[in-house]
Amino acid sequence: MMAEKYIARSKAIAARLVGSEMMVMSAVDSTFFTLNEVASAIWQAADGRTPLSEIVAGKVCKQFDVDPEQAQRGADRFVDELSQHGILLVSDQPLTGTDSSLERR
Amino acid sequence: MTTTCCPPVPETVSVEIGGMAIALRTPDPSFHRLIENRYEGFVRASSKSYLEFEVDLCDLSDSSPDDDLEVKFDAGEWLLKRGDFRARWNPETSRGRIRQSCSPYAIDCVLRIVHTLILARRGGFLVHAASAIRGGKAFLFSGLSGAGKTTISRLAPPDATLLTDEISYVQREGNRYVAYGTPFAGELARVGENQSAPISALFLLEQGLQNRIEPVSTTEAIQRLLRNILFFADDPELVNLVFQAACEFASLVPIHRLVFVPDQRVWEIIG
Repeated sequence: MMAEKYIARSKAIAARLVGSEMMVMSAVDSTFFTLNEVASAIWQAADGRTPLSEIVAGKVCKQFDVDPEQAQRGADRFVDELSQHGILLVSDQPLTGTDSSLERR
Repeated sequence: MTTTCCPPVPETVSVEIGGMAIALRTPDPSFHRLIENRYEGFVRASSKSYLEFEVDLCDLSDSSPDDDLEVKFDAGEWLLKRGDFRARWNPETSRGRIRQSCSPYAIDCVLRIVHTLILARRGGFLVHAASAIRGGKAFLFSGLSGAGKTTISRLAPPDATLLTDEISYVQREGNRYVAYGTPFAGELARVGENQSAPISALFLLEQGLQNRIEPVSTTEAIQRLLRNILFFADDPELVNLVFQAACEFASLVPIHRLVFVPDQRVWEIIG
């Protein structure tokens, strides 16, 4: 069985919801991401306490009517990419005290 | 008979950009002349200054202006450092000190950095853009080196007032943005006019085969704008302020792509 993943937004980012897309910029290297609606939903749910599988099941599959396996694979890829830039923090344990205070909506 | 030898008295010269005067104090008359020549139209003999710097001129010939720039906030002071200058500035007292060679490039860089730091807290920014006033409205033409900022400035009709061909000064005033002239010149090698006007539009420059204005999505506009905003400090809080300022700007000011042929007819579709 795969280990559970917990994800949290880094503090070293700036983010803003523009229309239905979340714009995220790293304050470290100015890398810029525009997240689509599905990725934005995962991003907004990344509180460090909710397991990724629960976010996929509760947010992605319910809101966007996608196949659970496909949604989980997409979410894993998205989390891997953003974590490589330090924008999302990933752990196999719940993360606390990492939620971004910089984000505005 | 007794002869008294007095040290030279520091005199102040103020450079006012965006309505914000920065006073520079030094006893060296050659530095005064340098400032007065370089910032013609922006120099104030005596005006209430927002910030005051003591300027120590010294030989920094063992360092190069190409050395890495460092801007950080430490122990209540902004520290600015490059090969050809060292500067510190306390935002609480509005006083600082610059140690630099008698070079226009050093003071130019210090002034640009100081203005970006001040503007960031006020929702404004400096941006790589030419700007001009026409019919009481300001237009910005943004792009990095080679995009056509100087070209579009050279093509401006006689009724346009050029604010800069290189670095535009953008300040938020209530629910609008205002462009101010700057002395930060590009290839045109000419300081802008010290005037201001509300910004009517920002154009992202792209040279092409015909003149046309194209829409850009809000996310692309913000991304392109952020690429062109000058920012130097390694400070997450200020990076966030600049990011939010770019988003706010894009929500209030129309941003378009301007594809243009380098001839005067491009100005017929602006305004």
